[in-house]
Amino acid sequence: METIKKLQDIFRDVFDDEEMEISRKMSPDDHDDWDSLTHIQLIIAVERKFNVKFSTEDMMMLKNVGEFVDLIDSKRN
Amino acid sequence: MVITYSYAEIKYDFEHTNISDIDRLIKLANRAEKNDIYKKKSEKSLKIAVLGTNSLQYVCKLLRLFVTFKCGIHADIYQGEYDGIANTILDESSELYSFLPDVVILTSTIDDIRKFPNLLSSNAEVEDVLKNNIDYYRLLWEKLSKTGAHVFQANFVTPPISQLGNLEANYIFSKTSFINKLNLEIIRQKTNRVTILDFDSLASILGKKKWFDYSSYFLYKQGFCFDFLGDVCNLICSQIAAFAGMTKKCLILDLDNTLWGGIVGDDGFEGIQLDPNNAVGEAYRFFQKYVLELKNRGILLAVCSKNDTDIAKEPFLKNKSMLLKLDDIACFKANWDDKATNIMRIAKELNIGLDSLVFFDDNPAEREIVKTNLPEVLVIDVPEDPAHYAYVLDSVHAFDWLQIAKEDLSRNSSYVSKEARAELESTFVNYDEYLKALDMSAEIGYLDRKQIPRFSQLINKTNQFNLRTQRYSESAIAAFLENEDYRLIYVELSDKFSDYGIIASVILKKNKDECFIDTWLMSCRILKRGVEDLVFNFIVETAEELNCNKIVGEHIPTQKNSMVRNLYTDYGFRRTDTGEMYVINTAEAKKRDTLIRIKTTEEKILDGNN
Repeated sequence: METIKKLQDIFRDVFDDEEMEISRKMSPDDHDDWDSLTHIQLIIAVERKFNVKFSTEDMMMLKNVGEFVDLIDSKRN
Repeated sequence: MVITYSYAEIKYDFEHTNISDIDRLIKLANRAEKNDIYKKKSEKSLKIAVLGTNSLQYVCKLLRLFVTFKCGIHADIYQGEYDGIANTILDESSELYSFLPDVVILTSTIDDIRKFPNLLSSNAEVEDVLKNNIDYYRLLWEKLSKTGAHVFQANFVTPPISQLGNLEANYIFSKTSFINKLNLEIIRQKTNRVTILDFDSLASILGKKKWFDYSSYFLYKQGFCFDFLGDVCNLICSQIAAFAGMTKKCLILDLDNTLWGGIVGDDGFEGIQLDPNNAVGEAYRFFQKYVLELKNRGILLAVCSKNDTDIAKEPFLKNKSMLLKLDDIACFKANWDDKATNIMRIAKELNIGLDSLVFFDDNPAEREIVKTNLPEVLVIDVPEDPAHYAYVLDSVHAFDWLQIAKEDLSRNSSYVSKEARAELESTFVNYDEYLKALDMSAEIGYLDRKQIPRFSQLINKTNQFNLRTQRYSESAIAAFLENEDYRLIYVELSDKFSDYGIIASVILKKNKDECFIDTWLMSCRILKRGVEDLVFNFIVETAEELNCNKIVGEHIPTQKNSMVRNLYTDYGFRRTDTGEMYVINTAEAKKRDTLIRIKTTEEKILDGNN
């Protein structure tokens, strides 16, 4: 499955919204519930579901969904 | 699209969610928040303040979920600031104090330790640093005592990395040695109102390597790994439940493939698997040993088995590898009726609520039947391998009480001697004759400081014979003792078969010329013996001594205390117009005769102090 589609499933799960749609440009500014707490949940869910490990530095740098997707892809390859 | 969720739906989901499924637990907590579920009132309500050295958002979020759906307690939670323990507690104008907490949770980590000994310190120098740290905690406890709240303080978790490597374990001045020493010293020095939360043990069991997952630690600063949030909240929740008087008192055990391998009906008492030289036999014996230790600390044991009674009892009587004896079992139900019915019988015979029962049965079908028919009973998810029985039962924290007292150690034997009493009773046609033959003697008087733990335990655990179900901490009780307007009365009972210790707690308050019965409760073990008459007589005498011309009582109805709804009218009180208040003029109160002999002063001295 495409990374962004799988990531969308994770977003839907964490935000508890089955109809949520994400795009590469989407960032915490676009969504009320995307705060530091949900950010951590997203990271943990991504680590688990994609079976990757982010470094402390990685995690601090993510600004939007696009960067997230790129980071995941780089870890998988 | 926004979906709404009901209390019942979230509760069902919660009960079917694994404690390590943090994502799901957080989702359920968020649903509860979004759907205003926490606004729903319930019989029990608690104000819980959570303070810590680290970030508390998720701890508070999940703790509320657990307290609400596991314990049915309506919780109001105050979330402390990051690293705010000292600031919040030492500043009497902080929100913590105006919040008026019932319970304060302190989750300090080793970052909170003021000072460590220098390397190569002498023992005396280490003791000095220890004292320095203890003085700080004493100050915190003293400040917190102004809230009257019970404090649950996490002990310190020794970290998996260290300055001296293996040498840490070889010197008293090492950081790790000091942390262990501090933990022990806190046990010694803590006040009655402080209970320690064993985070160190939990972290060891779950794995310190993961507990201190460092990259996440720096990222979200919670102090421990995200994955363990469920376990941590479960531990805190079980202690809060104990504080709220919701304790489990009895373990009900199946027999075949639970206490021994095999089926006694087929294999006979000699053929069941308990051979100490066989790995499977050893596993079952290990479980029996664990269960026996539970009984020794005051938990009642019951048997619920689908078997003929005589066949079921044979191993207890004749198999030498059995560690449990018949005398260890307070109630033995072996028959072919369904287990839900039998469990109800056990609850009735032992005179305890269904919600104080824990059910352990290897058969998932039996477990499901009990879960469905008796939702108040805690049903353990028994694993396949008997080698894991003890661990799984232990990890549920079903029997976490707030304290143990002398009376706990002999609890089981008093139930066993109940059988002997029942036999005695069956030989008497007249109940009064039976009571006389029991040869009961009692000590009734004003409470002494030494008796506070047991007095408090009764107050926090008793549900049935309890007029107002007021729960008081040991510190609150100590405060009443110092107050001249209060009289605290205890009753100790013995009979031919057993010594029960303190079995009734009464708190009277003088309001000018009225003597108000703030608390009147009795242990369910000794009902229908006339102890209440003894208590009533003493209350009247105390009211006279306090120059109160009226005695006032109140019945606050709950789901469990309907047995006392007519108590005051039976004693001749008049019901007032306002709610469930009852009044009697002291001069008109008629004392009753009882068949309980009051111990003389000589006897009291001979019995010694508690």
